Amino acid sequence: MELKICHLYPDVLNLYGDGGNILCMKRRLLWRGLGAEIVKMPIGSTGTLSGFDLVFIGGGQDFEQQVLLEDLHRGRDREILAAIGDGVVFLTICGGYQLTGHYYETYDGQRCDFIGALDLKTIGGKKRMIGNYKFECTPEAGGSVVVGFENHSGRTYLGPSLAPLGRVLAGCGNNGEDGTEGAHFKNVFGTYSHGPLLPKNPAFCDLLLAAALERKYGRAELAPLDDAAELAAHDEMCGRI
Amino acid sequence: MNLKAILAILLCRLLRGVSRVLHRGGTAMPGRWALKLCPDLLARLSKEVRTVAVTGTNGKTTSSRILEQAFAEAGRDTLANRSGANLIDGITTEFVMNSTLLGKPRKAWAIIECDEAAAVKVFPQLKPELVVVTNLFRDQLDRYGEVTHTLENIRRALASVPEATMCLNADCSLCSSLALSLPNRAVWFGLEQGAVPSRAKAELSDAPHCIRCKAEYEYDYISYGHLGGFRCPKCGYRRHAADYAVTDVIEQRPDGTSAALSIRGERQLAEINLPALYNVYNAVGALAAAMETGVGAAEAIRALGEFKCGFGRMEQFRLGSVGAKMMLVKNPAGCNQVLDFLENVKERFVLVLCLNDRAADGTDVSWIWDAEFERLNAIAGRIEKVFVSGDRALDMRVRVKYAGIPDGAICVERDYETLLSALEKQDREVYLMPTYTAMLELREVMIRHCGGAEFWE
Repeated sequence: MELKICHLYPDVLNLYGDGGNILCMKRRLLWRGLGAEIVKMPIGSTGTLSGFDLVFIGGGQDFEQQVLLEDLHRGRDREILAAIGDGVVFLTICGGYQLTGHYYETYDGQRCDFIGALDLKTIGGKKRMIGNYKFECTPEAGGSVVVGFENHSGRTYLGPSLAPLGRVLAGCGNNGEDGTEGAHFKNVFGTYSHGPLLPKNPAFCDLLLAAALERKYGRAELAPLDDAAELAAHDEMCGRI
Repeated sequence: MNLKAILAILLCRLLRGVSRVLHRGGTAMPGRWALKLCPDLLARLSKEVRTVAVTGTNGKTTSSRILEQAFAEAGRDTLANRSGANLIDGITTEFVMNSTLLGKPRKAWAIIECDEAAAVKVFPQLKPELVVVTNLFRDQLDRYGEVTHTLENIRRALASVPEATMCLNADCSLCSSLALSLPNRAVWFGLEQGAVPSRAKAELSDAPHCIRCKAEYEYDYISYGHLGGFRCPKCGYRRHAADYAVTDVIEQRPDGTSAALSIRGERQLAEINLPALYNVYNAVGALAAAMETGVGAAEAIRALGEFKCGFGRMEQFRLGSVGAKMMLVKNPAGCNQVLDFLENVKERFVLVLCLNDRAADGTDVSWIWDAEFERLNAIAGRIEKVFVSGDRALDMRVRVKYAGIPDGAICVERDYETLLSALEKQDREVYLMPTYTAMLELREVMIRHCGGAEFWE
């Protein structure tokens, strides 16, 4: 068994150690004797998204947003919509999470249209929500406690029928107001927990891998790993915040 | 000087004296209070001092130490903010301590390392005649925001001193872009094609797209990170020819580098006192700055082989029977350069990774996943042991584990005293890679173990 993982826009959406998530998924597959094929799909790539089991989209800088949107609207948006409809597992973080929604509206009212795959919108805020934080995933999203770091000024609001990824235990989450963090729709897992989210949250990583394996093979066999190092780092930060 | 300024000077000196008696570094706090009393104190004190400022992401301290040596070789009486207090308050303290009670300067020259974000406040008062911009990399995103924001800060700071010469890294597309919009005179330093073997395009570049038109850069060569012979295929923005160029890195040793330079077209050989490629950049940048202020080529080149940096930058200690080198790491680009250096170490060694997440380190430790610790795999056979330490030791442990080092080979030791005792028992060279605040604390403990200077001296 093997998973084919796409790292979408690694050239521009790579702001905070995002590559750590890809590395983490790969290692955790290989340690179990499962295969992992990682394909990077930068801006301008003519490759197709079809055939991937898991797609990762990270966060980026404002500077490159225009380049990214142009590429997105050249057909990549329709491919993402199709893949999501098809049950492909997506992990989207920060900017990557925002762009699955309808739009981003800046503080002074300028609107930037995204792909509208998830019923959510993001409004630019004056105050940056920044710091270590933690949230508890919904039972549907595995129920684990995720500890991470958020750094965003956009406030994201979910539509009435869209489930959050979890409930904020400490920190701000989607918007600092309603206690929600991230979004969970089909096999799309969106979050503000930027950078290396997965290494310190192995249960969450395995949830994604299992979902992708199950979709592909109808069953998921994830042998337990020795996660002492990961859990120690996780628990220590959980205790600190 | 008016009365307010004189009172501010007195207050600053008093606070400085007290903090030294209490054995606190106290380089920033006295200046902070003095500026509250007299907000333009720095402008008053620096008015008659000819000043070179050094800013940029990496290499500020090393470049400043080389410049200081060059000025010493040229017989110039110079003040400098050696302790690394590089915000406006620390810089003000330094000027107060080097002036009379009436505010008359006691030094003719100053070399001031200045934080990238603080430059906007500092330059209008300091009015440097020359500003070195070493490079721009992603650094502490939680504090500086994205790298283009830092660039914008430096641009605004330089715009406030149009008379200042800019000494720019020609190989850095971000730094170089300052010359596109500023009227300041520019001089350029860099590495020529062929000076070092070109690297493959970095997987993670801090500036892949043209700062002017956002098309993807093409490169004739890459020295490291995004530094090299960049050009934009769309708008034509490209690397500027370097007035002060390294044409050949002849030999890289654990203790230094031999290089051939072209100084405004004239060939010179230089011995640089520090290893690693990033220090070659620091050397040629500082040399350019020194010569632009009138230091002769002979003195400037001599300085490259004579300067002492210390303070955690390739700083050498003795621990029991072994040598220990401390190599400050702050961001992915700098960390990768240190890993580069380790790849060239031929002997077996002990590696210590010290990760803190305090304000001065950046509270977000995500950057360790952008640094290429995977490179340790290729040299795993020469690594005797890996210690992880610091407030975020456990995050570093996970990072190293996922890089491919078996978890059983990674030793967590949080207490610096215990750590040093363990290191003293090793019979291999020790390489320490601490973040900023970890470096300060580790240094203190190491100095206690083996003797040395305290940082404000």
